[in-house]
Amino acid sequence: MLEIKGLEVNYGKRRILHGIDLTLKRGESLSIVGESGGGKTTLGLSIMGLVEGTVRGEILFDGKNLALLPEKELRKIRWNRIAMVFQNVENALNPLYTAREQVSEPIVAHKIGNRDEAKKRAEELLNMVNLREERFYAYPHQLSGGEKQRVLIAMALANDPDLIILDEPTTALDALTKAEIISLIRNVCNKRELTILLLTHDLSAASMLSDTMAVLYAGRILEFGSTSALLSNPRHPYTRGLLRCYPSMTTTKDLQGIRGRMEFFDNGCPFYPRCTQSVGICREETPRLEENDGRFIACHRGGIIPLLVVRNMSKSFNSSKAVDSIDLTLYEGETLALVGETGSGKTTTAKIIIGLFEATEGQIFLEGKRILDHGRDKNFYRTVQMVFQNPMESLSHRLSVLESVREPLDIQKLGDRAQRENRVRRILGEVELPSTPTFLNKYPHQLSQGETQRVAIARALILNPKLLIADEPTSALDASTQAKVVKLLLNLQEKRGISMLFITHNLALARKISDRLAVMLRGNIVEEGPSNEIVSNPLHPYTEDLLKAAPTLSSNVPVVHASVPEVISKKNEGTGTGCHYASRCIKGTEVCFNEKPRLRICSSHKVACLNLNLKTENEE
Amino acid sequence: MKTAKISTYAIAFLIILSLNFLLPRMMPGDPLTAICGEEALIEMTPELRTELMHRFALDEPLGKQFFVYLTGIVRGDFGYSYYYNAPVLEVVLEALPWTLLLLGSSLILSTLLSIIMGIESGWRRGRNSDKSLLTATMIMNGFPNFFIGIVLLLLFGVYLGFLPLQGAKTPYSGLSGLNLMLDIARHLVLPLTALTLSQIPSSYLLMRNTMITTLKEPFVLTAKAKGLSEASVRYKHAGRNAILPIVTTTGVRVGIIVTGALFIEMIFSYPGVGLLIYNSLLMRDYPILQGAFFIVTVFVIVANFVVDSLYTKIDPRIGIDGVEHAH
Repeated sequence: MLEIKGLEVNYGKRRILHGIDLTLKRGESLSIVGESGGGKTTLGLSIMGLVEGTVRGEILFDGKNLALLPEKELRKIRWNRIAMVFQNVENALNPLYTAREQVSEPIVAHKIGNRDEAKKRAEELLNMVNLREERFYAYPHQLSGGEKQRVLIAMALANDPDLIILDEPTTALDALTKAEIISLIRNVCNKRELTILLLTHDLSAASMLSDTMAVLYAGRILEFGSTSALLSNPRHPYTRGLLRCYPSMTTTKDLQGIRGRMEFFDNGCPFYPRCTQSVGICREETPRLEENDGRFIACHRGGIIPLLVVRNMSKSFNSSKAVDSIDLTLYEGETLALVGETGSGKTTTAKIIIGLFEATEGQIFLEGKRILDHGRDKNFYRTVQMVFQNPMESLSHRLSVLESVREPLDIQKLGDRAQRENRVRRILGEVELPSTPTFLNKYPHQLSQGETQRVAIARALILNPKLLIADEPTSALDASTQAKVVKLLLNLQEKRGISMLFITHNLALARKISDRLAVMLRGNIVEEGPSNEIVSNPLHPYTEDLLKAAPTLSSNVPVVHASVPEVISKKNEGTGTGCHYASRCIKGTEVCFNEKPRLRICSSHKVACLNLNLKTENEE
Repeated sequence: MKTAKISTYAIAFLIILSLNFLLPRMMPGDPLTAICGEEALIEMTPELRTELMHRFALDEPLGKQFFVYLTGIVRGDFGYSYYYNAPVLEVVLEALPWTLLLLGSSLILSTLLSIIMGIESGWRRGRNSDKSLLTATMIMNGFPNFFIGIVLLLLFGVYLGFLPLQGAKTPYSGLSGLNLMLDIARHLVLPLTALTLSQIPSSYLLMRNTMITTLKEPFVLTAKAKGLSEASVRYKHAGRNAILPIVTTTGVRVGIIVTGALFIEMIFSYPGVGLLIYNSLLMRDYPILQGAFFIVTVFVIVANFVVDSLYTKIDPRIGIDGVEHAH
């Protein structure tokens, strides 16, 4: 029904929209999301033919190019075919006319009905949007925000349009009103088979009101696909950034912003100054929106890149397997928390990746390149660095702060002495430490615990690595120091886009810092998925137990390792062929002791549990 | 309703009443001269003097004098003009209709014209039609109203001879009915034009300004999106909203236009209150001056009151209690 091809809008010399291509079929609903100032409203207005700048490109509506249509013809399409629910700002409604007058006005103006018919129809519509009858004759200043929004919706429906453009229909509404308005819009649109174009920065409204979603940034579409796919698995760094700053009831990770501000560029990817994975080409060439795995992404790097891929990795000490053929993928700029009880193989995994242990089996890829066991050169350590559990032990007592932090630069032979010292000062500033000569010459034993860990972090970050492996970096710290260090790491991630492999046994901490969680049990990953999903809906009994045991401030002592039928447990002990959790699992059955579960995809998780089939089937 | 507003007007009225009472009595010299005018002195005999002293209670304390003055006003007694040899009220009331005709029509005409000009000009902001209208109005704004009057008088009255030079109607013409009305209209054209032209610039500029601001309001976009005709967007939506400040200033303008009328009436010898005031000033006919001032101020207050009441009608946000509802 609506097809936009190469739409460009300029205000003077400023180009607000750069070559937008969109198609909207009858009955579809599309949301355009993105920060304010990205061109959402301009896009909406240019479809209505109301944009003040110059418009180039085609806006085909039922085959007619609206961009070329004379004003007189456009006026016939406005409100009759395409209507708009304007953002409920001050004065979106004319302050001098009553609600009913404003709703009936377009009916009379387009000669659809005479005054009386228009009045009647306006009353029907206002009834339908659940406006109380005595409010029909109220002036806008007498209406509440929610009531005004209802009037705006009723007004948009007055001439029974085919396409309705909703511009931020839920902003400035309180939560309950917002919920009512959203359900109202949904009902109305379903009943009338309306085509919806929703312009919003409210991701939750977009998720409820649209089937497909386009992410608009600085006048360009960066990602386009089904709404649920985009929101559950954002592939463009900007989409991920939007989700990270959007507080929803399911987010667990601390809110993170997107670094920098929006700027408009004629050439290059508009997002490159704010993107943490941008490379040379991003600056020079504008990426095209290309199909990639069921959705469209405009990114030279094909979306968020997998920084570290671990495949089928195992490590045996003597005959026991510390790590048993695990697969891990860590994307650019994200935190993957590796959680599990002590001895589950978390630290071993980290040490294999950094090269402190040799893997018995398996492959490691960094930025797509395979890392061989002895292939870890200086370049590798410029990309990957590690922070250890106990800073007092990981920093040499014999090196001062300056020497410790400078050491990686010395090894890599980067810059001269003065430059190195400057970098040390800068990085100390970034980790919020002083860089006075006194401090630089201090030795680890003269520092507090928090300071020592920051020095260790500074040492790890001075080479500007892309991947930071943090092995229980805060477990030796008290809670207030831990909070500061965690905040610091998150800020650094926001600023530099560092990927983190965060190893911890503390799920309460992991969910605050990680995007995804991988749960390890005796060398196996038994559950993996988005942190919020795993925390709110754990599928593996082991994860459930870990969550039960995670710190709360309640006085109830959690009951884990609940009753296992003793007969079964006794009978099968020691065979070692089954699920490693079988002997402790409440849901364990006989089969669990005999058959080893494999990691399978279940909604957004991957989980290894034999009883899962039952569970999911029951749910379905 | 509007008790607060009405009391404001009542206070203003009382102040005017008192000033009108106090000023002549505070003038240096004989208060009687100030009250009765210099003309009275010519016929002044001791008997008359005593009678007048008694009538105005000038030998009594101030309070008593005020009471006598108030009762006089209630009875419609504003004094006696010895120059015209008639009661002040009679003289002023004879001039008042002409002034009301001139002022009223000029007020309505200038307001309407400046609203329409402002709407059209603001809508076409930056285009040639807007620029030329703006320039023309700015130039006109530079001329005082009597100058415009003189130019019009010379051009249409003297050189072209289209229109009468002075007066409000042809004297002793014996016209009646429609012919009389036409005659009055012909006499009215020049003073009305002069007064209206001098009134337009300020209102036009204000109207154009508010129109430009109003056009940026979201509801104008809403109106356009509804596919309404351009005229409807311009007048019904933008214009209606932009008018509001004009209505406020019209109340203020009543006072200014009265002063303007004084000059215009002088130039065109139009027999209104302005000319009356001017002549009385020359003759030092104090009773007429006081009476005329009093009636003119009352008129201005009433006009302001009317405009205020009108405002609540055209802006629903001003409630009937006269308080603006912030929302």
